[in-house]
Amino acid sequence: MDSKYYATWEEYLAEHPELEGKPEHAIAPKIQKYEDAVFVFVMDLLL
Amino acid sequence: MTDAVAMTNERNQMFRDLFSGKTPKRVPLSNPATQDFAIQYAGLDLAECQWDLTKLEPVYEKFCQDFVTDTYPGGSIRLPSHYQILGSTPIVMSSSGFMQHPEVVGLLAEEYDEFIASPYDCIVEKVLPRLFTELNGAPGKVAMTLAKAMRAQSDDLAYLGTIRAKMNAKYGYATMMGALTEAPFDFMADFLRSFKGISGDVRRYPDKIAAACEAVLPLMIKKGTLPNPAMLGYTFIPLHMAPYLRDKDFATLYWPTFKKLVETMAGMGQNVQLFVEQDWMRYLDYLYELPENTIMRFEYGDPKLVKEKLGKKHIISGFYPITLLQTGTKQQCVDKAKELMDVLAPGGKYWFQADKSVINFEAKGPVADNMRAVLEYVHENGTY
Amino acid sequence: MIDLKILTQAVGDLDEKVILGIINDFVATNPSGEDAQKVVLACQQGMAIVGDLFEKNEYYVGDLIFAGELLSQTIELLKPVLSGEATQKVGSMVIGTVEGDLHDIGKNIFGSMAEAAGFEVYDLGIDVSPRAFVDKIKEVKPDIVGMSGVLTLAIDAMRNTVKALEEAGIREGVKVIIGGNPVNEDACKQIGADAFTTNAAEGLKTCQGWVK
Repeated sequence: MDSKYYATWEEYLAEHPELEGKPEHAIAPKIQKYEDAVFVFVMDLLL
Repeated sequence: MTDAVAMTNERNQMFRDLFSGKTPKRVPLSNPATQDFAIQYAGLDLAECQWDLTKLEPVYEKFCQDFVTDTYPGGSIRLPSHYQILGSTPIVMSSSGFMQHPEVVGLLAEEYDEFIASPYDCIVEKVLPRLFTELNGAPGKVAMTLAKAMRAQSDDLAYLGTIRAKMNAKYGYATMMGALTEAPFDFMADFLRSFKGISGDVRRYPDKIAAACEAVLPLMIKKGTLPNPAMLGYTFIPLHMAPYLRDKDFATLYWPTFKKLVETMAGMGQNVQLFVEQDWMRYLDYLYELPENTIMRFEYGDPKLVKEKLGKKHIISGFYPITLLQTGTKQQCVDKAKELMDVLAPGGKYWFQADKSVINFEAKGPVADNMRAVLEYVHENGTY
Repeated sequence: MIDLKILTQAVGDLDEKVILGIINDFVATNPSGEDAQKVVLACQQGMAIVGDLFEKNEYYVGDLIFAGELLSQTIELLKPVLSGEATQKVGSMVIGTVEGDLHDIGKNIFGSMAEAAGFEVYDLGIDVSPRAFVDKIKEVKPDIVGMSGVLTLAIDAMRNTVKALEEAGIREGVKVIIGGNPVNEDACKQIGADAFTTNAAEGLKTCQGWVK
């Protein structure tokens, strides 16, 4: 899904070089969780 | 192991068997009534309870106590708080306290190309501000509104989740996960173009509808994905518009992306439950093409014909006419359940659910007693 | 004068381009109100074709909705040349989605088809209280009252509305038809309506029978 308002972890990381070298296994699921949560919230508004 | 845990295990096994095409121990059953019914049944005010969720625990306690069912009778629920905060126009509370969906237009016909280019961007930038008045305005206001609304919904869902967990622990329901999505055509119709809008589009710009359905398909797949496909549960897809279309419009505009959606879900190892609303009898050959063990809950039609055409490949459900609970005697209601079980249960692949949800309760009416009798009948007589 | 048969057929085919082309050309000739009436009649005959195709399962509800939209567009274009000419109405009706229910698609289809067939239609909208029905009926004295609903609770609201008509002493003066997903013969009897329908085209036929 190509959107300004949703990013996969890889896309997010590419935009946020300050996270390089930080504990990715801990950060990635968290960032991804809220990307997905907002996506589900928005889509639920239209279902 | 407590009795309730044992019951949950047994029920989970029944649904695992059902979903994988094995004949379960008995016919699984679900209470057709909703939270709206439960609130009224408990004698409480519909609007008040949907705002003040602390009132709901005793509501569910009584509901679960009085009506036997294998699945938690909470269903998918729309609560008012976040809709209020967002200034919702597509979902509003009526004078009687029910959350309902008036006809709205979220996407204009001239915005199809923009939608096709990037559906999610278009939803965020065009559709949401049009349908939710508080998301229309200065960016700061919109951001704060969104934060409040998400927090409200998150709190509400968490609270409902604790009630559900308590009831599951006490009544031993199957613990199933659900995800909700829609056929791309239905998604385009329901909140975006409206029934009237899409009906004109079918004649005026069929190519744009087809392209929009393709464009939005990845979103619908993502929305319908369970956190983990190995979980017991299913993707729920209520089907709306197909019965209102001509066969050729269905074949070219509705079916292709809907079929891809269901196949993708099944390919990921997820079960899919279709709520086959209205009359789909002319589309049975299409439904047959869907992946094995797709669950199909029917609202209308001939159960015998459906069992014959689809019953060996797919899991059949629905058909029980809830209007009978209002107009029939207890005996007539039970007889109808027996009649449906005689047709649909042989060979397994059957889940007892009603044709529609029961949302309204009248203290003097017969619905509660009739429904209790039907559920008990199926529970006691559904053994294979 | 335009070829009314072609217009009737175009309406039956739901061919928007042809219909709007004919109507625009017609209006540009600055026609008499009498001729405009003939055009309206030709459109109504086209709508009868649409109704027939619906009954034959060649058209479905989506097509009826589109037909209603086409017809409103057409009437809108004809208004300037129709004005002054008293339109012959076949009857009048008050319609609405009953209290507690916000669904209006079925009602709107029915309303636009009834208008197309020459009825004067007073549409009270959605979530209409029994009181609002009573007030409007007293005001306009219609031939027919149409109550619509999709939710099962609509049955109770319809019953309450009929009761309110009785209490107001106006039930005898009107025919009552109920429409929507949850209605059937049993419900119709319980509610005390004169007819029920789950199909706008069929419901319209019932209404036409009443005002003949």
